[in-house]
Amino acid sequence: MTNAERVQEFVEAFGSLKGEVGKIIVGYEEVVTDVLVGLFAGGHVLLEGVPGLGKTLLIKTLAAGLELSFSRIQFTPDLMPADIIGTNIILEDPEGRRHFQFQKGPIFGHILLADEVNRATPKTQSALLEGMQEGSATVSGISHPLPSPFFVLATQNPIEMEGTYPLPEAQLDRFLFKLRVTYPGLEELNEIIDRTTRARETEVRRVMTGPEVLRFRELVREVPIAAHVRELASLIVMATHPQWEHAPDVTRRFVRYGSSPRGAQALVLGGKVRALAQGRYNVSVEDLRAVTRAALRHRIILNFEGEAEGVDVDSLIGDVLEQAEAMSHRGKEVFLR
Amino acid sequence: MADADILERLVAQVGWQIRRRRAEFYGLRGLFFGAIVGLVPLLLKGAAGPAAPLMALGVVLLGAAVGALRGLALPIPAADAARLADRAFALQDRVATALEWGSRPDRSPLVDLLVADVTARLQDLDGRGVVLRRWPREFRLLPIPAVLMVLLTLVPSIPFPAGRLPVFSSSDDTEPPEERGSKVLTDERPRVGKRELLQRAEIMERNLSARGGATGGSQPGDLAALFKDTALAAQRPDFQSFLKKGDERLRMLEQVDRLPDLKRDFTQSQYKMIFQRRKELFGGLRPDQISPQRLRELLEEMQRMGRKGGNWGGDIGEGMEALDSGQSDRAMEAMERALSKMRAMEERGRDGRGLRGGREDGRRGGRGGDRGGSGSDMDADFGEGEGLLPGKGRNPNPKGDATERLRANPFDAGVEGEARSGRKEGYDTNLLGKGTNVPSRLQYMGVFGQYRKMMEEAMAREQVPRDYQSQVKEYFESLEDRR
Repeated sequence: MTNAERVQEFVEAFGSLKGEVGKIIVGYEEVVTDVLVGLFAGGHVLLEGVPGLGKTLLIKTLAAGLELSFSRIQFTPDLMPADIIGTNIILEDPEGRRHFQFQKGPIFGHILLADEVNRATPKTQSALLEGMQEGSATVSGISHPLPSPFFVLATQNPIEMEGTYPLPEAQLDRFLFKLRVTYPGLEELNEIIDRTTRARETEVRRVMTGPEVLRFRELVREVPIAAHVRELASLIVMATHPQWEHAPDVTRRFVRYGSSPRGAQALVLGGKVRALAQGRYNVSVEDLRAVTRAALRHRIILNFEGEAEGVDVDSLIGDVLEQAEAMSHRGKEVFLR
Repeated sequence: MADADILERLVAQVGWQIRRRRAEFYGLRGLFFGAIVGLVPLLLKGAAGPAAPLMALGVVLLGAAVGALRGLALPIPAADAARLADRAFALQDRVATALEWGSRPDRSPLVDLLVADVTARLQDLDGRGVVLRRWPREFRLLPIPAVLMVLLTLVPSIPFPAGRLPVFSSSDDTEPPEERGSKVLTDERPRVGKRELLQRAEIMERNLSARGGATGGSQPGDLAALFKDTALAAQRPDFQSFLKKGDERLRMLEQVDRLPDLKRDFTQSQYKMIFQRRKELFGGLRPDQISPQRLRELLEEMQRMGRKGGNWGGDIGEGMEALDSGQSDRAMEAMERALSKMRAMEERGRDGRGLRGGREDGRRGGRGGDRGGSGSDMDADFGEGEGLLPGKGRNPNPKGDATERLRANPFDAGVEGEARSGRKEGYDTNLLGKGTNVPSRLQYMGVFGQYRKMMEEAMAREQVPRDYQSQVKEYFESLEDRR
């Protein structure tokens, strides 16, 4: 298969998977695209939205479109790490000898839906840390590799804060993207009513296998990126740091902690997937712009003033992006800007 | 390889366009500055002669040429040219990426696809018009020097100033040298008519509009309003009368004793001043070595101060008598007493100016008698060493008085409890006492900022559960509003 055919195959697979999800999920085209971008970039995605907007349904539909094992964990305050990772149980063989055997938990699946992830205690939330970053789970000193591809899709509700445990920064940083699921528009709502209240339910076809997903992930990493686009990604991330000497005023005023280098990686990887999904062989500035909010909104921690003023992180990122682009032109002669 | 050539050709084409636009841009700037400099030979047309317009034109053209050359000579990075091409043709950074990655040894298989893709797209595109023309800001101002140049060319030359000072008097006006033996005195020497005229004009100029004098109301900017010395302000600022009568302020300078002592430090108190002079006077000398004259001056000074409400007049009188009778030691004792009273009075005044807290209030209230009587005479003169600081005076408490709150009955506030029986036993508590009657001496709003900062830090450290953070913030905001 030639490289052009590989790219073409990816474009078609991306489109068909999006189409399958679109059979069930009405609207949310950007959210669906970003979830798929997260899948092919090899990251994990956190979806935030009020109940009833179809976050869980979106993930279940995506899982249905992929020939991959799917586990769902409903996070509750009494959930324990062993309920996620698994535990050693005593088994007795026919000869009457007893031994420990590791019983795998739901984390050992390709696609993991961590529903309402902020309802579990930080200890339980942290059980996902190793799996998300290293693709393994360690129990009693023995490391068990997770199946590949391993893709965590977590949901959380932003308004019901009573009895919740906000995800720690280390956990948040493990998510490639944080997506906001908003209310649908009028036309979309009409379509939702139409689709969900009729007798026959729509069925989702399986359009992609696990090895195909892995192959596409490799292909994505081959997409070249120009020096000035890469520099813009770095500038965006640096501009979120209030300590940086060239940080914009809005950052100095409202931000306590800026994005980690994982933020820059997320920008570039997300940009690569978007470019390839459009049949383009290079990352452009527009690709970075498209993924900046999703990649950085959970990596920027506001300070007290920012919280008290009710600063919207998305609009703050918009300002940061503008400033970073202006910085990339700074010092250049008028004809070269 | 052919693809790479196409890319390089495009970049070179864009580079040439940038050079051309730069040459235009900097050439126009050079034209403007050349026109400015070109005004100089036209201004000096008288000295430069008929070649001045040609020189000006030469300077203008030279400026434009230098600007254009600079624009052509400036370097153009290939990556920047590629970016411009990307932007001009909406190629989404394809050209820049292909140009950068095309020559890299670690390029991925997709780079070849990219280069081929870019080449295919470029073949259909016209490479002209990538770089837009820009006009320098100076270009808009170019008509000004241009018009000036035309005008200066047309108008006759401006006379060039000679290399010596102008002669204002003709040879007829020169006075014949006087003989040494002339009997005419200098004051009586007749003035030259022209100079006299000049002087008069000067006087008339200073003789501004007629003033209303002392009877007129003062207006803003009026001299009478500006100078509070009304005797002078009412007068016309007439130089002749000034000479005749003399300035009152100059006369004041003759009365040295009435002039203020500019060396005196007005931030010092009377007591400190006198104490300083006393120290200078004594300077380790015995009473019989001290100058009686200077001691008398010091006593007189203290007497003068005492007239403005001081109570040391008697002591000073006693000291003066002792000095008259030649008893310097007694005079010094009297002066010391007067000095002590002066200090006590000043301390009392300072005490009155300062802010009073609960401690002072208490002292002046029920416990006033503890301090050795509440009579006004005693308060007025409470003697040396009696101060407000702890450990001073007759107060036996080395740390000063206790506050009202601490002196309050410890049993007048407390908590009482009562067992409650029922399905589940409990204990009801009730806060008793006069806790609410004791006014808080804490400056509530004074520490508000400090507590707010502590709250912010606690929030930042997430010591406050997130569910309660909004309530805490609202509480502090409500306090802020109350401030």
